[in-house]
Amino acid sequence: MEFINAFVVSLQSVWNDSGFASFTGGHGIMILVGLILLYLAIVKEFEPLLLGPIAFGCILANIPCTGFFGEEMNVMKAINFGIKFEIFPPLIFLGIGAMTDFSPLLARPITLMLGAAAQIGVFVALAGAMILGFSVHEAAAIGIIGGADGPTSIYLSTKLAPHLLGAIAVAAYSYMSLVPLIQPPVMMMLTSQKEREITMENLRPVTRFERIVFPIVATIFISLLLPSIAALLGCLMLGNLFRESGVMDRLSDTAQNALCNMVTIFLATGTGMTMSAESFLVKETLLIIVLGLVAFIGGTAGGLLLGKVMSKATGGKINPLIGSAGVSAVPMAARVSQMVGMKAKPGNYLLMHAMGPNVAGVIGTAVAAGTMLAMLK
Amino acid sequence: MHQPVTTNPFIIMLINMTVVFIVLIALMYLIKLIHYIDPTKPKAKQEPTPAPVVQEVAVPVEVPKKNDDEVVAAIMAALSSIGEYGTVKAIRPINREGWKQSGRVQNMNF
Repeated sequence: MEFINAFVVSLQSVWNDSGFASFTGGHGIMILVGLILLYLAIVKEFEPLLLGPIAFGCILANIPCTGFFGEEMNVMKAINFGIKFEIFPPLIFLGIGAMTDFSPLLARPITLMLGAAAQIGVFVALAGAMILGFSVHEAAAIGIIGGADGPTSIYLSTKLAPHLLGAIAVAAYSYMSLVPLIQPPVMMMLTSQKEREITMENLRPVTRFERIVFPIVATIFISLLLPSIAALLGCLMLGNLFRESGVMDRLSDTAQNALCNMVTIFLATGTGMTMSAESFLVKETLLIIVLGLVAFIGGTAGGLLLGKVMSKATGGKINPLIGSAGVSAVPMAARVSQMVGMKAKPGNYLLMHAMGPNVAGVIGTAVAAGTMLAMLK
Repeated sequence: MHQPVTTNPFIIMLINMTVVFIVLIALMYLIKLIHYIDPTKPKAKQEPTPAPVVQEVAVPVEVPKKNDDEVVAAIMAALSSIGEYGTVKAIRPINREGWKQSGRVQNMNF
C-alpha cells in the first residue's frame, strides 16, 4: 500500500513539474504558429535560414516551466542577452558588409537617392502606427520594417520597443521573403511599358582605391553624424573593408561564412524566443503585420517614383524599375528589378544597376534608424 | 528615452526624411570626391576599349538552328552579368580543343 502511495505521489509530482500542467491555450496557439512558420520555411522555402530557427525558437519559448528566462544563467538566456544588448545585429552586419560589393553604388552614386526615397515607407508606416494609437517609440520601431532590413529592425525595436520585438522581427523577415510577390504588382502599376524597357548604360569601372576608401570615409562621416548607429554601420563597413582590402581574405571569409552563419543561428533563435504567448497574442501583433505591409509597399512606391523622376531628368537613361530595389532586402529586391525588366524586354539586364540602390537602401535604413534614435532616445 | 519635440506624425516623417536625404546626398558627394582625388584612376582622355563582343565579328553563326536563340541568350546573359554590353553580330566556335587538352592533362596526373 505504501509503495502504491509513494508511486502515485511521485507521479503527481512529475506531472505538476511538467509543462503539461501549466500548458495554456495561448501556448498551444503559439506552438501552432511556430509549426506554420516551420512549414513555410521548409516546404515553401520562405527565407528558410531565418524563419527556420525563428520558428523553432517560437516553439521553445512557448513550452512552460523551462526556466529559460529565470534567475539562473542558461544557454537560452545567454542568446537572449545577445539580442537584448544589441550584440548580434552588428555582427550580422559585419558578414553582410563582407558579402556586399559597393561598386555599382560607387560607379553611379546618384542611386543613393533611390535608397533614400525608398525609406518613405518607413515613415508612412510610422505615421500610420501613430494614428492607430501606438506611442511614437513603438511607431518608429514598427516603421523600420519598411526598410526591409532584419538586423536594423531588431536593433531599433530592441532600443525603442523591446516588447514588440517578436512581432516586428517576424513581420520584417516574412515580408522580406515575400518581396518577389509584393513588389511586382506595385512596379507594374507605377511604371509604363516604355519605362520598363529602358536599357541602362554600362557602369564605369571602379578602382581598388575607391572601394577601399569608401568604407573608411563613410564610417567616419556617418558615425560622427549619427553615433547611435556607429556599431551597425561600423561593422558593415569593417566587413566591407575586409573584403576590398585584398589583404584580409581570411577575415573576410570568416565574416561572411562561419561567423555570419553562427550569429544568424543565435539571432534568429533568440528572436523566435521572444515570441511568447503573453507578448505575441495581442491585437498589436495583427496591426504590426498590416503596417509592415504598408511600409513595404510605401518603400517600393517611393523608390519607383523617384526613379521615374530621375528617368525623366536624365532623358531616359535610368530605368525606374531599379528604384524599387531601394528597399534593402539584398539582393532579393535587385533580383526583382531584374526579373520585371527582363519580362518587359528580354535581354534588359538591370541586376548590376539595381544593386546600387539596393546597397544604398541598407545604408539608408541604418541612417533612418539613426535619425529616429537621435530624435527619440 | 525622451519624448520628441513634436508628436505630429507628419512633421516627424518630414524631419526624418529630410535628414535621410541630406545624409545620403552628402555621402553621394563624398563618393564623387573620392573618385575625383583617386590617384589610380585611368586617364580620362584614354580611348575607351570597345567591348570585345562587338570586336569579334567574323564568320556568321554556324550553331545548329534549333539552339540558336538559347545559345545567344546564354552568351549575352554571361557577358551582361560581368558588365559587358553590346550587340551580338555573330557567334562562332573558337578553334581550340580545350576539353581534349584538359582531359589529356588530367590523364597525365595518374
